[in-house]
Formats: sequence, C-alpha cells, structure tokens
Amino acid sequence: MKKYKSIAYLFILPAVLAMIFVHILPMIWGIMISFRDLNLYTIGDWTQARFVGFDNYIKAFQDATIASRYWLSVKNIVFFSAVTIIIGTIIALGVALLLNRKFPGRTLIRGIILVPFITPDSVVFNFWRFIFQNRIGILNEMLLRMGAIGERVMWLVGDNAMWSVIIAAIWKGWPFGALVFLAGLQTIPDNLYDAAKIDGASHWQCFRYITWAYIRPVLATLTMMNILWNFNAYNQFRVLFGEIQSRGTEVPATLIMTQAFSHFKYGLGSALSVIWMLVLLSITILYLYFFRKRSEE
Amino acid sequence: MDRMSSLQKFFFALAIAIILVFVLAPYLWMVSSSFKSTLEIQSMRPTWIPQTFTFQNYVEMNRIVPIMRYFKNSLIISGGAMILTIIIGVLAAYGISRFNFKGRTFYTMLLFSTQMLPGVMFLIPYFVIFNVIRNTFGIPMVDTYHGLILTYTQFALPFSILMLRNYLDSVPRDIDEQAMIDGCNRAGALFRVILPLAKPGIAAMGIYAFIMGWNEILFATVLTSTKTRTIALGLLNYITKHTAAWGSMMAACIITSIPIFVLFTLGQKHIVSGLVSGATKG
Repeated sequence: MKKYKSIAYLFILPAVLAMIFVHILPMIWGIMISFRDLNLYTIGDWTQARFVGFDNYIKAFQDATIASRYWLSVKNIVFFSAVTIIIGTIIALGVALLLNRKFPGRTLIRGIILVPFITPDSVVFNFWRFIFQNRIGILNEMLLRMGAIGERVMWLVGDNAMWSVIIAAIWKGWPFGALVFLAGLQTIPDNLYDAAKIDGASHWQCFRYITWAYIRPVLATLTMMNILWNFNAYNQFRVLFGEIQSRGTEVPATLIMTQAFSHFKYGLGSALSVIWMLVLLSITILYLYFFRKRSEE
Repeated sequence: MDRMSSLQKFFFALAIAIILVFVLAPYLWMVSSSFKSTLEIQSMRPTWIPQTFTFQNYVEMNRIVPIMRYFKNSLIISGGAMILTIIIGVLAAYGISRFNFKGRTFYTMLLFSTQMLPGVMFLIPYFVIFNVIRNTFGIPMVDTYHGLILTYTQFALPFSILMLRNYLDSVPRDIDEQAMIDGCNRAGALFRVILPLAKPGIAAMGIYAFIMGWNEILFATVLTSTKTRTIALGLLNYITKHTAAWGSMMAACIITSIPIFVLFTLGQKHIVSGLVSGATKG
C-alpha cells in the first residue's frame, strides 16, 4: 500500500486549500485587523487603516463603556449557558433513560423528540417570541388560566428577558443531548445488568456502577460541546429581541456585531472576538488536559 | 428488561405524554395561529384551536414580505453549498479514511477544532476580504450568491468530512483492494466502487450542508441584503416597529420548515449517527 500514500494528499488537497482560504487566512486577517483602527472610512481599503498596536485590546479591558459592556456580556453568557446546559442536560438524561426501555411506539417517539433539534433557529425563536407575547401570547394565557400568575407577565423585556431566552434555548437544545445519551446507553451490554442482578445489586447500584460509568465520558464530551456552542450563541438573542440588545441580554456575539457593523468599529470588533476566541481556546485546552489525563488513568 | 407493574406502566405513559406535550405544544400554536384571522390573533384570549379557519395568512404571507423570493435565494445558496461540500468533502473524507498519511491526525484535529471558533471572529475578516476582492479584482462578493455559497461551504465542510469519514470507515478496505486488483486505479476505485456504496453517507453529508445553509443567520445579516436575503433572515421582517404580522409569520415559518423536515426525514438515520459520533468521538 505504501506507494499509494502520496496520492492521499491529492485527495485532501481541495479540502486543505479550502481550509487555508476560508479558515486560516481569515483568522490571520482577523488578528491583523484587530491591531488597526479600521472604520467606515477605511473599510474600502483596509491597508489605509491606522495601525494602533494593542489599543483595541486595551479598550476591551479599560475603556469606560466598552470594558464594562464586554464584562457584562461575558457574565450574561456564562449565566445563560450554565442554566441552559444544566437544565437541558438533566432533561436529556431523564428522557434518554426513559426511552432506553423497549415499548411500543418507541421509534416514533424518538423521532418526535428530534423535531425541535432540526427546526431552523429562525423558526423556533420566532414562534417562541410569539408565545412569549404579553397580551396575545399563549403562555400568559395558559398561566393565567391555571392560576399560576395573577397578571400578565412581560416576558421579553426587563429581568424576565434572560429567562425567556433560556426557556426557548433549553426547549431547542435538549433533544440533541438526549440523542447522544441514548447512543451512549445503547452501548451498554444487557448481560452486565443481568450479572449485577444475579449478584443482588439494587436498581440504584445498577445505575450508579453500570449506567453512570458508561454515561460519564459521553456527558463530559457533550458538556464541552454545549459550552462552546452556547458561548457562541447569537441567533437566540437576535431573533427573540431584535438587533439591539438591552443590558440584560447583551452577549459577546451580539456586542461584537453591534460594535463592528452598527458602530463600524471593525478593529475593535475583531479585538473583542480574538479575546473571546482565546477564552474558548483555553476552555478547550483545559478540557483536553483534564479529560485526557482521566482517561489515561 | 424487567416487567413493569401496572402502576409503573401508568407513570411511564404519563412521563412520555408530558414529554410529547412539551415538545409539540409550540408547534400546535404555530400551526393553529397560521390559520387564524388577524382579528383572532390580536385577541386577548388566545385559543389553541382557531375559531374560524382561514387561509388568509398564506395568501398574504408573500405580500407583506417577499418570502418566496427569499425561499428561492435560500434554495440556490444552500443547494450550491451542498454541491460544493459534496465535491470537496468526498475526496477529503476518502483520503482520510483510506490513507495513513503523515499529518492525518493533525488534519483531523484541525477539522474538529474549527467547530469551536466563534462565527463572529470570521465574519469581520470575511467582510473585509470580500471588500478587498471587489476592489482588487472587480468581483462583487457581498450580496451575491457565490459569496454566500463559499461562506456556507466553509461552515459545513469540516463536520461533513468527519461525518463521511466515519461512514467510509465502515466500508471494508478489501473492496478498494479488490477493485484495484480487477484493474481500477485509485480514482476508479473511488468513483466506480466506493461512491455507489457510500451513497447514504454522501446523501447525509449533502443534507447536512443544505440544512446548515438554510438555517444560518449570523453571516446572512452582514453578507446579504436586498438581492440575496435568505429565508431564515427574511422571517424576521414580519415584525417591524409599526406592525407585527404574526399570522403571516407563522405561515412563513411553516413554509421555511418544510424543506428541512423533508430532507431530514430522508437522511435521518445517517445524519443522526453522524452527528452523534461527531459529538462522542470528538
């Protein structure tokens, strides 16, 4: 086989070229832009933009308005991600355990729970926006009828806004987790449980020592992916609340978008996104370090 | 699996029912609202079932927002991205699956790592590069089909390659070797023998690329405007400062979802296993 090896590079060449042009070059370009004062006047020819060194980065940490908004957006996204991921994962695991039993109609139900996952973001967050409407939305109506609330709640403004986006994001996000857990559960050989039963293990012990052992690595990877996805969240906030975010729902992606494309501060926007990428990169490296170490033990 | 008592069965069925209501209720609201009159939608006492059925929203949907044009734009852009992803992806996935070349692990890791990068980080350079291309070569990029097709291909490609690689790994290598003994060269083995066998995997990859393009919002906000606006973004136009055409928007939401539901149902098995293996083997 050895003499065919060089031909491998021919096969991956188009993909590598594509990657260089669409991933690596833009990334380098983005870093270069972050050191310049690129704005509306210089966007036509970026080389004309003034080189400002680390100014954009310093602004991100020290400028009175930018730094505080950036920090706030980071706090918001951490809160959003933490709640969404924790509740979403609990629902996902619960449903996966439930669906792992054999019962009539299982395939159909497994297909149905996938529907939110495949529905386009734009559709999902638009109908949630409608559901959350104060006067005409169905959520307030249902809660009123059940007597859970005394008067109509303003879901999409003020303090409730963050909870609205969390509810919608959980609804959209948990099916993927359930799918991944189900796949993990199905790798557990049935005879493990049989053997444990013969040895007199209780239901809880079966879960703790068999199911959990198989679920844990899946949970780690899933959580990691969820953190990366949620930290980059944009669509949820854009569709539910519109182009301009209030303080309570400002997140890094929306802040960078506003700075770059509404205020035309492309250099600053690039710097903010490079910082954000470094944060995500550190999380990934930490995860790989700890996870690799644990799996080697 | 041990037998359940009837009480257990009851709670089990109850749990399943709760899940189904939780998942399906928002869809019921979407579908029923799309058949309600404007008057009924504005009512303070919304109901789950329309009191009077009307197709008014489906008729007006395209008058308020040119949603059918956006539909066509999305079809061209997502279709283009799908074809490009398949062409480049098949070659790359075959390369990774069949050859143990130097740098393979590194390249695979690189494909995975592109998943974690923030989209906004690429958006600004893309905007700048698109401007540079226009100014230097005179080729317009912003608000063109080809600009967006290239952009969406870059999104779909890394994961598509990994998905198809997993599929190709399940096709025995002996088949390639047998084909080459029978007189095929490498390319012949790929195109005459492996591709027909890998059809479901390739279909799943193409569908994945199409769905990615169809659903994308972030890049479309900046890189499209009047000429190439996509449907995912166009949906937002039903709500303006002055009016909120919820009924028509729900009708348009249904129209937007249909192609995705159809495609997903067609390729479900392999897309799901591809996504899951991507998430667990990562």
